[in-house]
Amino acid sequence: MTLITKKLIKSLGIFLILFPFLFLLGLSFSTNWRFPSILPLEITPDNWLGLFSFSGNLFESFILSIVISVSVGLLSTFTGFLAGKYISETIIREKIIFLSYLPYTLSPVLYAASIYYYFVYFNLTGNIIGVIVGQILITFPFSINLFTGYWNSSIKNLENLVLTLGGTKLQSYLKVLIPISKRMLLIVFFQTFIISWFEYGLTTIIGVGKIQTLTIRVYQFINEANYYYAALSSCLLIIPPAFLLWFNKKYVFRKII
Amino acid sequence: MLLECKNISKAFKSENVLNNLSFYLEEHKTLSILGKSGCGKTTLLKIISGIIQTDNGDIYLRGNRINDIPVNKRNIVYLYQEPLLFPHLNVFENIAFSLRLKKIDDQLVRTKTDEMIEHLELTEQKVKMPHQLSGGQKQRAAFGRALIINPVLLLLDEPFGNLDSSTRESMQNFYSKIANEYKITSIFVTHDLKEAIIMGDKIGLMEKGKLTIFNYVDDFINHPDTGVSKEIDFWKKLRN
Repeated sequence: MTLITKKLIKSLGIFLILFPFLFLLGLSFSTNWRFPSILPLEITPDNWLGLFSFSGNLFESFILSIVISVSVGLLSTFTGFLAGKYISETIIREKIIFLSYLPYTLSPVLYAASIYYYFVYFNLTGNIIGVIVGQILITFPFSINLFTGYWNSSIKNLENLVLTLGGTKLQSYLKVLIPISKRMLLIVFFQTFIISWFEYGLTTIIGVGKIQTLTIRVYQFINEANYYYAALSSCLLIIPPAFLLWFNKKYVFRKII
Repeated sequence: MLLECKNISKAFKSENVLNNLSFYLEEHKTLSILGKSGCGKTTLLKIISGIIQTDNGDIYLRGNRINDIPVNKRNIVYLYQEPLLFPHLNVFENIAFSLRLKKIDDQLVRTKTDEMIEHLELTEQKVKMPHQLSGGQKQRAAFGRALIINPVLLLLDEPFGNLDSSTRESMQNFYSKIANEYKITSIFVTHDLKEAIIMGDKIGLMEKGKLTIFNYVDDFINHPDTGVSKEIDFWKKLRN
């Protein structure tokens, strides 16, 4: 294979990967792009400028989604980190790990429907707290699964070493366990953030239409056949995962952090 | 007497690991404990350090019962077979670690740590990260990290088990030297016969949760269960 052919195949591959994103970006800058036109009939920043103004503020949904996903990511990562430690030490470790897979046997919609009664009972429907709790029910077992395998005898020995050197439990976490687990914590945070960020079914049911996350808005725009706003909200939807992907690649996988 | 263990017993599920075990250790002495894998040596050290609790029996340190004193208040440092240097800290910060825990003045921490590093002959490795050190250097840094807080008792769980024979020998000499200089009281666990004899002022043989203490090396050599006589016979036969 010649060098030119290789470069051509590589460029084609890159184009195919980037095409959906470029297409969405193009669509978000358009108000009139119909078949059979290859390019939009007019390119305008109106959709983006209207981000803060048009009915049902998209930017508000973006911030709401960030708040929910960061909260879900942080809570499930840190609780999973601690719970994983205790589960790894218990004699019923295997049983708990088995149970942690159960939420994934149902689709999130069915799962939400089956626990909906309890959310109504505890007044957790239609508010952010309820959605965060609902999503954590999905991400927490995921986090436990990752952390249970992470806590090995070396890490436990390090914890005990800090204690014999005169440190407290808190110091062992702050000075050793958290710093050495930084990469793992970041990876779990990214994963749980992404699960929460794209969550639709459970959020729709628990949020009862009052919690309009960005993912829900995308579906709404598509149902309304409002492709330009759907593209705009999709562009916003891509920003945090793209940032996390970049961050992962630049720092985490290069072991800078 | 610095340490006294009375009737220590420990069982995991139905298996008795330590069985009514008693012994004492004088100040500035090293007791080496010889035993096969799984005979309960590590469990004994972990009980003395407070990492795990005994089922029965009492532990006295300088006459005070310490069973209920938390690990971090005992001033007994437990050193593992692996040096377990903190991977995110360089040699200096690893050695200074326990001083920093006590929130000692930064200048004093630097002075004491530098002194210890010099003593350990690790000056050139001062700013290196643990993964850049050799096995012996790692173990020396681990000793420094423990010694810098002047522990009452040092518990060494096969600290040279992962080293090659020449490094092991130099570390044995190194440890004997600093044990004298710092007047360390320690329990040195090993499964190596020669090491047990070299390192200990007195030697203990651990079998099936029972500990037999030999105050004199000759007693240890002549006892049929220690395996020393067999070893001597083997080398004699080989020579002949």
